Amino acid sequence: MLELRINGFGGQGSVTLAHLLAQAALENGEQGQALPFFGVERRGAPVRAAVRMSPTAIHAHSQCDLPDYVVVMSEKLVQAAVAEGICESGTVIINAPAAMAVKDYPTWQVDAEAIAREADLFSADGPNINIPLFGAVCRVLNIPQNIMAQTIMNKWPGENGARNLGAAGKAYNIVVKIDG
Amino acid sequence: MKTAQVIMATGANAAALAVKSARVDVIPGYPITPQTSIMEAVAGMVESGDLHARFIPVEGEHSVLAAAVAASAAGARVFTATSANGLLYMHEVLHMASGGRLPVVLCNVNRGIFAPWTLWADHQDSFAQRDTGWIQYHCSSNQEVFNTILQAFRVAEQINIPIMVNFDGFSISHCLMPLTIPAQEDIDRFLPPHQPEWRLDPAHPSSFSNVTMAAEYAPFRQMLSDDIMAAVPLVKQAAQEYRDCTGMWDGDTIETYRLEDAEVVALAVNSMAAELKLSVDILRGQGIKAGLLRPRLYIPFPADDIIQALPKNAQVMVLDRNYNFGHPGGILAAELKSILFGRRNDVTVKNRVMGIGGIDLTRRFMAAEIRAMIDEQNGVL
Repeated sequence: MLELRINGFGGQGSVTLAHLLAQAALENGEQGQALPFFGVERRGAPVRAAVRMSPTAIHAHSQCDLPDYVVVMSEKLVQAAVAEGICESGTVIINAPAAMAVKDYPTWQVDAEAIAREADLFSADGPNINIPLFGAVCRVLNIPQNIMAQTIMNKWPGENGARNLGAAGKAYNIVVKIDG
Repeated sequence: MKTAQVIMATGANAAALAVKSARVDVIPGYPITPQTSIMEAVAGMVESGDLHARFIPVEGEHSVLAAAVAASAAGARVFTATSANGLLYMHEVLHMASGGRLPVVLCNVNRGIFAPWTLWADHQDSFAQRDTGWIQYHCSSNQEVFNTILQAFRVAEQINIPIMVNFDGFSISHCLMPLTIPAQEDIDRFLPPHQPEWRLDPAHPSSFSNVTMAAEYAPFRQMLSDDIMAAVPLVKQAAQEYRDCTGMWDGDTIETYRLEDAEVVALAVNSMAAELKLSVDILRGQGIKAGLLRPRLYIPFPADDIIQALPKNAQVMVLDRNYNFGHPGGILAAELKSILFGRRNDVTVKNRVMGIGGIDLTRRFMAAEIRAMIDEQNGVL
């Protein structure tokens, strides 16, 4: 069973990202689970969501305390996110404008905000960084690009889906592993 | 069996989809976190025409259940849902539904009780309704929520007793997972239309739940008690026939995991019992012969099935997500001890309360707790 935790700020789309990843697992022929933590919801407050993928039934219903992957929606949260818990062999995926490495953990970086702005993906809360991050996480987890595309187009058929897919596909191709 | 559909659904959506599949007639509703998602989904289905039912928004939970009682007495198949203090506010009318022998099905999305306020899960709310004359299921997965609502309607309508289907707030209600929806034809085969023996009908005026003298009241109460006990074989039959119709199985009165040769038995309900399967695997990996016994049915407490399932000399570790105020532990442990007394003197019971107000219960934490309970049992400090 693969476990992943998303650490972000309220309004950045962490819940939708978790849902997309769980849906992608199902499209990929596996079991998927998205379990956001709902606190007292406020924009800008730290939020987290658990995601699990497994070829067999998922019985866990706790938050991911020691995940295999930590997805950090903002470089401002990197230290706090890693301090919250990650397994010893864990990997960190960061949305950051420039390359940054996390001590002791393999790190992948993508500038999701730049991709979202370039694709003109905005909501009331700002650029939709969760869409490019979905593409980047699919790449890191080796989820095929056609599964990523299928997941997006099933959720948003038509033009919105195509724009989201463009941004996710770009992130899929440019997310980069940083040598720590 | 026809082809089933697999979608991603939260536990709340699974409940709403089961309501649709059950062809419910009337749904009175009032919002409360974390149950609100069920009522939102059901109201949406009624509005879009996907569900041909009457949705009745009222001003509070006491009225919700009063409307449910009235609709059920008029012969409708009735569903509603609530959580925590909403369920407590219904308490008086819960008795009216069971005493009136009305087969309402209610989802309680478990949440800790005020005061102080909490939004997150523990099991104080449903366990506090133990003596209301309702049958109670507790579910450990999204799929089981869907399956159990259908089974609950069937059992409730067979014996005219209302049924509460409980599952954890957030860790099930807001957890997105794959959900298998059987073909409607298979569900209809399992759950035929509701045909009450009696109903309120303006064309044939009658009244019900009148004042009774003790000579009438006492037999009514005895009948309710007897019929609740008689639900066990019906619950088993419903689980088996649901499996025949859909291929799915969550256990009947209980679910067990690696129990046959277990020396240490974890006993718990709801989503923590699903995660406990992983704790059992961890303990097995450490050389401890662990197993799981999950009561799926809380009322009636499945005494015979638990007594039969427990291996010889089992050390039972009860993990309670509630308090049994006035006693040192939780309510499940007290229920278990009461059925073991005089029947299984070889079994020992230890008990810890955990996970109150949504404290996260991970597989590693629960495995460590069970290890500590074993050490305590063996006098190792």
